[in-house]
Amino acid sequence: MSHVLGVDIGGTFTDFSLLDADGTITLWKEATTPKEPARAIQRGLQALAQIKQQSIDAFVEDLDLFVHGQTIATNTVIQRNGPKTALVCTEGFRDVLYFRDGYKPERYNVSLPRSPDFIRRDLRLPVTERVDYRGDVLTPLDESSVRAAAAALKQHQVESVAVALLWSVMNPAHELRVREILAVELPGVPVVLSSEVLPMIREWERTSSTVLSAYVLPGIARYMVELEEYLAAHGFAHNLLVMQLNGGTATVPQLLRRPIYALASGPAAGPAAGLYCAERAGARNIITIDMGGTSFDVCLVTDGKPALTKELRVHDNPVGVAAVDVHSIGAGGGSIAWIDKGGALQVGPESAGAEPGPACYELGGERPTVTDANVVLGYINPEFFLGGRRTINAEASTRAVKKAIAEPLGLTLPQAAEGIFRIVNTNMVGAIKVVSVEKGIDPRGYTLIVGGGAGAIHAGALARELGMQEAIVPRYGGVFCSYGMIASDVRYDAIKAYATNSASFDLARVNATLAELERTAVAELKRQGFVASRIAITRYADAKYSNQIHELTVPLPARGKLKPNDVGRIAEDFHALHERMFTYCVRESAVDFFHWRITAEGKLPAMKMPVQPRTRRPVKTAQKDTREVYFGEYGSYRRTCIYDGNRLQHGMVLAGPAVIETENMTIVVFLKQTLKVNRYGDFILGMG
Amino acid sequence: MDQSPRDTRDTRAETRAQKSAKTRRPAPRARRASIDPITFSVILNRFSTIANEMTRTLEYTAWTSILALARDFSCAIYDRQARQVCMMDALPVHTNSMHVVLKEIARVFAGDVHDGDVIVCNDPYSGNTHVGDFVTACPVFHKGRHMFWSMTKGHQLDCGAYIPTSTPASAKDVWQEGLQLPPIKFYEKGKARDDVIRMYLANVRWREWLYGDLMAQLGSIWTGRRRLIELAAQYGNQEIERYIEAIFDYADERMGAEIRAMPDGDYFGEAWLDTDGQGGTDIPIRAKVSIRGDRVHVDFAGSAPQTPGANNSSYGVMQAAAGIPIMCAIDPTIPHNDGCLRHITVDAPKGSVCNAEYPASTALATIGPDDTMQNAVWKALAHAVPERVMGGNGGIHCVPFFSGRDSRGVKPQEWGCMMFNGAPAGGATATADGWPLIMTAAGMGGLKILSVEMSELLYPIRIDKQEIATDSMGHGKYHGGPGVDIVIRPTGGAMECNLFGDGSSNPPFGVIGGGAGIGGGSCKENLTTGKRTYCSSKGHLVIAADEFWMGTSSGGGGYGDPLERDPELVLESAFDGLVSLESARDVYGVAINRAMMTIDFAATARQRKKIAAERAPLEITTPNHPGASDWVVRRLRLGDEYLIDPQ
Repeated sequence: MSHVLGVDIGGTFTDFSLLDADGTITLWKEATTPKEPARAIQRGLQALAQIKQQSIDAFVEDLDLFVHGQTIATNTVIQRNGPKTALVCTEGFRDVLYFRDGYKPERYNVSLPRSPDFIRRDLRLPVTERVDYRGDVLTPLDESSVRAAAAALKQHQVESVAVALLWSVMNPAHELRVREILAVELPGVPVVLSSEVLPMIREWERTSSTVLSAYVLPGIARYMVELEEYLAAHGFAHNLLVMQLNGGTATVPQLLRRPIYALASGPAAGPAAGLYCAERAGARNIITIDMGGTSFDVCLVTDGKPALTKELRVHDNPVGVAAVDVHSIGAGGGSIAWIDKGGALQVGPESAGAEPGPACYELGGERPTVTDANVVLGYINPEFFLGGRRTINAEASTRAVKKAIAEPLGLTLPQAAEGIFRIVNTNMVGAIKVVSVEKGIDPRGYTLIVGGGAGAIHAGALARELGMQEAIVPRYGGVFCSYGMIASDVRYDAIKAYATNSASFDLARVNATLAELERTAVAELKRQGFVASRIAITRYADAKYSNQIHELTVPLPARGKLKPNDVGRIAEDFHALHERMFTYCVRESAVDFFHWRITAEGKLPAMKMPVQPRTRRPVKTAQKDTREVYFGEYGSYRRTCIYDGNRLQHGMVLAGPAVIETENMTIVVFLKQTLKVNRYGDFILGMG
Repeated sequence: MDQSPRDTRDTRAETRAQKSAKTRRPAPRARRASIDPITFSVILNRFSTIANEMTRTLEYTAWTSILALARDFSCAIYDRQARQVCMMDALPVHTNSMHVVLKEIARVFAGDVHDGDVIVCNDPYSGNTHVGDFVTACPVFHKGRHMFWSMTKGHQLDCGAYIPTSTPASAKDVWQEGLQLPPIKFYEKGKARDDVIRMYLANVRWREWLYGDLMAQLGSIWTGRRRLIELAAQYGNQEIERYIEAIFDYADERMGAEIRAMPDGDYFGEAWLDTDGQGGTDIPIRAKVSIRGDRVHVDFAGSAPQTPGANNSSYGVMQAAAGIPIMCAIDPTIPHNDGCLRHITVDAPKGSVCNAEYPASTALATIGPDDTMQNAVWKALAHAVPERVMGGNGGIHCVPFFSGRDSRGVKPQEWGCMMFNGAPAGGATATADGWPLIMTAAGMGGLKILSVEMSELLYPIRIDKQEIATDSMGHGKYHGGPGVDIVIRPTGGAMECNLFGDGSSNPPFGVIGGGAGIGGGSCKENLTTGKRTYCSSKGHLVIAADEFWMGTSSGGGGYGDPLERDPELVLESAFDGLVSLESARDVYGVAINRAMMTIDFAATARQRKKIAAERAPLEITTPNHPGASDWVVRRLRLGDEYLIDPQ
């Protein structure tokens, strides 16, 4: 039977969501193998094949779609452990990266440290050349200066090169020639051009985007190619699709040409997954959270639209392209609890990750983590961790919490564990406030959508703290993003610069520009197997008043050539958008157009979702056990009902305190809270 | 005619207030009792979001680069009594004094403020900062009650001065500065007063552009108005007013605690303006900072009399400049609003360079006078709270105002541009190196540079170089940010160049043993003869078609003994081109193996010992004498000239 698969690599677990043609969903989790991420994927595929009682070859061959979220790019830039990367730039402008936009945040914080740049000055090498604002060559490229730069790069043993020359957006010839020369002088070293990554005016954003691309390229290229080869060897007949930061997916070659889209891509699927579950429960204003082993991701979705940002930055370096606005902090099951110099208990951001992992893994980690605290508190069942697939030792958790926290602070064991639980909750509440309260949005009007293996243990406490009324734990919340990926469309964004004006609109040139963009985008998706009827095109122009400086993005008619009377309509749309956003417009002014954009989406068939009939069976039938669980409100352990999540069905309602377990997650229902199951099998936590 | 809203407070009453400060109770907790902490945070942050949205509106819709790219503007929210509620992310010299001009606006139109009004003002003698700063303000009504003022202040590209710049350094009086607008309505009850707006636009250069900027500043206050009405509708007028008091109390309490932690006493500092715009040099400004309990009083008595040029401070700037260093020396997480501002009082003799009397020009008030007053206060604070001060910031020199005629398009047009890209850097602190391009203490890093490509697209100029000026900063345990080497040429015939900065011949000071910045300067050079004409930090030059302009701005002041800088950080700074290998050896005492680019720790220890034994004792602040920079003198070649305030 054919099926589609989403695979998301997190810092701790690699999640798998398999959807069969009949709507059956199979979930799987593997411990991430940080040094060789592909190994966890191969193991997971083997496991899924076994579940489906197929050989690995038959299983892979049956895959219609393989969507993959990777964290390699993000981890590389966050941890700054990328390859030795250099920048080739126009003479006189070695410090574009350093000067940034001249802006320092936080006016009154005079000791604010400046984050270091991705490329030190001795690896920012100038070449002699100059192009002007029309794209005319003022100073031809001095090829000997390129060879001199190449010699220096060779001496430094540079592993990746970004090329960002002034005005390459109007004339990329010099950048193209630099790449040719470097290919000869530095064979095997990847070269990324700014005119291909972000062909937009403004040198800092373009340079930064190019540098980040060059910085992550070797790592993702190695990994992706290896994975593709593995899949091909087992008979996979389609393109491997990779999640992008814009919330859509891309093929590997597409991504490797523009590696910037690989950054922050895993979490970008979260809102899609959250929205999918929320909309069928009738919620369009949601906050999605995804708590994994290492990090906690939050995204605000208002009226069904995930917040997008063109201002995503990594260590103050702009990414440049539009991205789903996901806020991330270091809080997860693997976050380490420690005592600071002032004697205060702290949790994270340091994580034990997958290796060595929490103390209870007994893989060499001796410091207590959030997972260890949850084991001590009885929230996590040591006999049924990952459905019993991983053995954990509760004794090791107890030892670690006692030694590192309880004893030094003079607390009892449960007090220390509950302290860890409360502090990590406070950190996560702070992160949710960043995307809501700090933007003037009251989270009380939103529904919390809970993803991630560890999220549902904490969700009840977070929602209560924020005064939210309801939290939805999707049945597949434990593998949230991998699930979102199979719900995401393939997406290709492209930009081209061409300046014209509503008063002297060059219809022919604009139509040629749009046609070229569309050809590129459609060809890209057709190569991926999409027929024209499943390709959705949206077109935009960046417009501004003639004397204005910043642009707004206005939609264009979706298809076909622009006609003369379209120009007035587009200008009018611009006036209206300007008025809506900024309270006023200047109708007497002509409108300038500079950048032309296209978004092509390859639509995947909608997923079939089975609906559960309402059960008449009592909730008691889902209870599988009782055990001692600690609740802060009681200040003690209490014998608590444990339910089998798989047996909890549509129509069942239960009241806290209770614990629900499935193979992929654990839900804790706190005092005065209720939990019911809707027709899709999702769990609805009511705050009482 | 003196329109100045001079401070009429009884200074003796002030002293009484200071005396009772120690026993002054923090804000009444009773009022807080019914404050819900989540609602408090939501409303507090909502104001920030609204101010941010106002800022975005202005930045994204303005028509000149000084607003749209450099962000020389501020947006803020005031309550009905003109008390500052929120001033996110804006320029300190504006936000620490916008209440002064708003109070004058409210006074002038008392009883005549209506829903739909827009009041503007650029008059420095009405509490505004300087003539270049244009204020737009609108009252915000909800359910018939005047709840807020939504307000912006934006530095205009032009204000109708006798030369093409809104910062005419040589202006001798308010009439040479340009059109003076005391508080005046541009909109009344929702209806534009087109005749008045036409009169305004008839008096400024580049009127099409300035019309766009006016609309941006109106759009910004209307954005604020829209959101503030939504906020009032959501929570109700009474509830909002209650929470505003709580927000003030919260800031007041935390500010009071911060100042109480500073040692009581009188502290002194002195700094100098480079020139007055009319050829007078090294004009002294003196500050006495008195810390008593939870109050700070700053007195500029003893400063020079007002000057004949434009380098004088207005009343509004004097209020701001004294307070900014104190606001920077407190915990940065305290929300900056009226609750903080009420702890600081300022005084300066009328008719002094710090508090000029009508009709003296104050066209440069936010630049040299602001920064120099701040420098004097910072230097005084170095004796009071040495762990909290910073080295001197650059005085926005090497920021020329270019103008000319652009014949590239179908229709030739006049152009003008304030070019911030070569601006100086910021000072270091006890824990961090300075940032580049802080530009001025008045803006504290809030101004942006212009993208090179945008500049060349918009104006007939070419930027040939824009790079780090190595060794331009004050060295120290933490060093100042670096200055910039910049070269710009006209591409469409001659262009005018008006310079209006400061802090070149009087460079950014170093603190607690740190060194001063280089000062720097600028010149034009002829492409054929190679002759250079250097100019003081102010003056007017014509850059001919066969000439180019080049500048080297100062790095910021250093903090602490350079011999205490971590050798690894010295090596990093050398890799980054901030510090030369020579300075690494001679100033920081770090021996670097040039072939390997590694540190020789044993040689470093020896070198540091030697330097420590041979050098003069380090000072709390340096320099402590005027005209300390020798940058120009060292660079002058035979045949070059150096002009002071050319007109």
